[in-house]
Amino acid sequence: MHRSRYLIGIVTLVLAILGASMLWNVLSSAQDQRGMPLRVEFRDARGLRAGADVRYRGVRVGNVRAVQVAADGGKAVVDLTLADSGAEHACVNSAFWIVSPRFGGIAAGASGLDTLVRDTYVAFLTPKERGSRLLAGALLAGDERPPAIVEPDALAPIAHGDLLMTLLAPENHGLREGSPVVFRGTQTGDVRSVRLSSDGRYIEAQLRIDNAHRHTVTDASVFWIARPHLSGALLSGFTIADVAAIVSPFVGYATEPGKGAPAVDGHRAAATAERPDAAATEVPREALSRAVAPSAAPSDSIVLVRVTYDAIERDTFSADDAVHGEGTGVLWFDSSGRAVVVTARSVVDGAYTTSETWGGSVDIVREQITVAVPNGPVLRAHRVWVADQEVDLAALVLDEAPPDLRGTPLDRIAFDVDQPSGYSLRSLRADGNAIAEAQDASMDLDAALTDRRGAAMVKDAKASGLLGQTAPRKNRSARAISLALVPQDLRPRP
Amino acid sequence: MAAPFWSLRSFSLAHRRDDGEELLLDNASLEVPRGGFYLLVGGSGGGKSSLVRLCAGLCDPREPLPRTQGAFDCLGESVAHGPSRALRARMATILQEEGLLDELTPRQNVELALRAAGRSLRLAPALLADVGLDPIPDRVASLSGGMRKRLAVARVLAAEPEALFCDEPTAGLDPEAARKIAELLRRAHDAAKGRTTVVITHDLDSFMGLHDAVIGLDISSKTLRMQEPGAKLVDEPAHSAKRRAEAADSDLVHGLRRSVLAFGGVAHTIASSIVRLPPIELRQTARAIAQCTFAPMPFVAGASAAIGGLATFFALRNNPVEGGFESEILQGTGKVLVAVLMPLLCAFFFTARVAAGAAARLGTMTRTQQVASLRTMGIDPADYLLTPLVWGMAIGLPAATFVGVTFASLAGWIAAEAVSGTSTLGFVQSWFRNVDAIDLRTALGKSVLSGYLVALTCYHLGTGPKRSGADVGESVNRSIVLAMGLALFVHAALTLFVYA
Repeated sequence: MHRSRYLIGIVTLVLAILGASMLWNVLSSAQDQRGMPLRVEFRDARGLRAGADVRYRGVRVGNVRAVQVAADGGKAVVDLTLADSGAEHACVNSAFWIVSPRFGGIAAGASGLDTLVRDTYVAFLTPKERGSRLLAGALLAGDERPPAIVEPDALAPIAHGDLLMTLLAPENHGLREGSPVVFRGTQTGDVRSVRLSSDGRYIEAQLRIDNAHRHTVTDASVFWIARPHLSGALLSGFTIADVAAIVSPFVGYATEPGKGAPAVDGHRAAATAERPDAAATEVPREALSRAVAPSAAPSDSIVLVRVTYDAIERDTFSADDAVHGEGTGVLWFDSSGRAVVVTARSVVDGAYTTSETWGGSVDIVREQITVAVPNGPVLRAHRVWVADQEVDLAALVLDEAPPDLRGTPLDRIAFDVDQPSGYSLRSLRADGNAIAEAQDASMDLDAALTDRRGAAMVKDAKASGLLGQTAPRKNRSARAISLALVPQDLRPRP
Repeated sequence: MAAPFWSLRSFSLAHRRDDGEELLLDNASLEVPRGGFYLLVGGSGGGKSSLVRLCAGLCDPREPLPRTQGAFDCLGESVAHGPSRALRARMATILQEEGLLDELTPRQNVELALRAAGRSLRLAPALLADVGLDPIPDRVASLSGGMRKRLAVARVLAAEPEALFCDEPTAGLDPEAARKIAELLRRAHDAAKGRTTVVITHDLDSFMGLHDAVIGLDISSKTLRMQEPGAKLVDEPAHSAKRRAEAADSDLVHGLRRSVLAFGGVAHTIASSIVRLPPIELRQTARAIAQCTFAPMPFVAGASAAIGGLATFFALRNNPVEGGFESEILQGTGKVLVAVLMPLLCAFFFTARVAAGAAARLGTMTRTQQVASLRTMGIDPADYLLTPLVWGMAIGLPAATFVGVTFASLAGWIAAEAVSGTSTLGFVQSWFRNVDAIDLRTALGKSVLSGYLVALTCYHLGTGPKRSGADVGESVNRSIVLAMGLALFVHAALTLFVYA
């Protein structure tokens, strides 16, 4: 055998002996690991083992060297070693606790569930106002339970276009951060925070509604904090609603279809004390026949928006009537940079659609126009122009257009077509989904008028007109309204 | 008057072969006086070598002895069934393949023979100079054919034998070298008074004028007769007509005899390993221990590290609950690897790395008559080969197991660090949590016992009969399989015994 083989063999053996002695040293803990030693006392070590992690904000920053019972038998003493990254954050007012599975009842929920399958570990947290740094070898009193601040479940981040609103309620029935907000039994958002008002007379809950569902919230929506609700009578039987609230309280709301304007950000609503007794309405009939799959908006940069109009018509001799209009509009930026929405006048002008029974001028007050941008915000708008000769065309200007709002470019609009024909009808549904429908002989424009008022008439990827009505007042037949009527100063800048 | 050198009276000799018996001598009667320099001639396969091997006690103990009838005495003692130990010490043989020990220097070869004969080692240079090896070459492998023969002569002379047998000493040499060897043998014969030399040869020309008489083996009549020098030799037929005698034993008896011999061989090996456990050949033993301990280390360390690392990696990675039960998984993996799996795998690695080499070396030594030459020098092969191997493997395998377990643990630690980022303390605490002193003692016991059995296997199969190079390969193969099987058995049995 060659000498080199002996040499390699001897080197390997020496390495093995070194390795074994290292493992042995670690095992007998004779080798002091570098880092800052600390001792923390607990009433109960909760199955903590030597070698377990010490974590700060979920990051491992040290480990447990030994777990012993104190000399007097009254405490469990845990010897920790913190690495430099951990020692930096350990202060005299840091809270140390042992993370193991805990169930704090329905309201508090469970915590430390990861330690069901993972070893128990020690965690610590240092408040923002830090005390002085801990000294090596310090003896601390550990907390028996985790501090409350660390337990909110991770809330979904707020996305662009989400509705943020405030719910005011007389009483908090166990609502907390992360509680769901539910519409028709479907979670549409969550509770961001719950706190008592400054004067202590009600509670304020910040709600977030998903962008995709924000059209379900209007200023007419009714909110309540769900708790199990028993209704009915002894003979007819009982119905229990919101049973799920036993385990997890939530905010529920109901919106009567076609009622109210879409809620804008910062909307404040008051919760009703009781769940409104609104039985679930039936599935709308048209949902059965119309198999329109939610389609993406055609991507030829014609920007459609959903316009909602609400006003009050004041009558002299009878109760005031609510006026409501909804439809589609085309959005662009005019030559002076304003965000302009052109839509049918019958959508956004109560004076155009209503008439006074006894003649005379109609008294419309508290007009409110909202414009919902698909996958974007809901904005307030005001009417700046209506067409002459009672043609069904009007222009709105958005009050506070956000800087990232996109408008239809000039080359997507034809202002020179007097009588649009051969177009396809493009409109926006209340839920923000676009529908495109080609015109043909079978197309009933009058029927389309009921839910697609203001739809853009698009030919060769250019919008040349809108779906409107022939004359003012209600129950008129449909007509293509040419965009040629739009005045120069409202047209897009070239 | 002293007994004659050889005395054969109605002596018959037959080889026992698997397919029957082959009669070599039939009712041969002859007296050969002491002190002569004889040439033993006769056709190939006629039984010259068999006769000498029987007389010199060189028959393989694990082959059936030839069947004999009648009397065959050598120096007054019967050798019909092999010589006694005392008689064997008075004889020496130069084998056809010399059987020089490759791993020793030429000088050490002679010294070994001197030591076996109980003589001073300082005689070695003189002996080597006598046969013309001056200066002394330093490696056996670099010797030419003629020099090998000279060294072989020097080695037999170290024992100062009363009877010297040479099997074809001039085979394969050119006439000039052959003549020199013949003269050397004659000189050696004359150097000691009363020495009888029997040279088996076909090469009468080289010995022309050197011999005292020729003992001729007549292949057709299967008898021996003496011829004075100068007498015309009987022409031998170009080829020997081998006639098979009728089978004297039935197949059953023959098979039974073989089985008995096989079992006897195993028993003899085991008994030798125990009786001869105290190492006499210290140098060989130290060499074997160093070889068995250090040679397999890198391989065992590397393979164990790979297994420990992979096992830990996959145990942690293929975890149904991702990131869960880490310490429990490490506990289980550590216990299995340290207490059961690594000791077994290390025995396998060790067998593959060391036992194969040992078996091959022993097989080659047997094939090149090195083992037989040990016997001619009066050294028990068990002392020279088995005892060092037993010590080497019984120490080397536990050492390899230690290295394997350590490297597997270290690799497991690295894998655990990589997969889940456990701390060193956390890993060590979990890994060794379930490992206790009983596990370590059991692992030690397993490895010592396995090492012992691996050594026995290599020795037994390596020194078994080898008729061809293929037999060597076969024996290596069987050594590995059997050694691994025995290791597996030992581990399974001890594991069941201790833990079940």
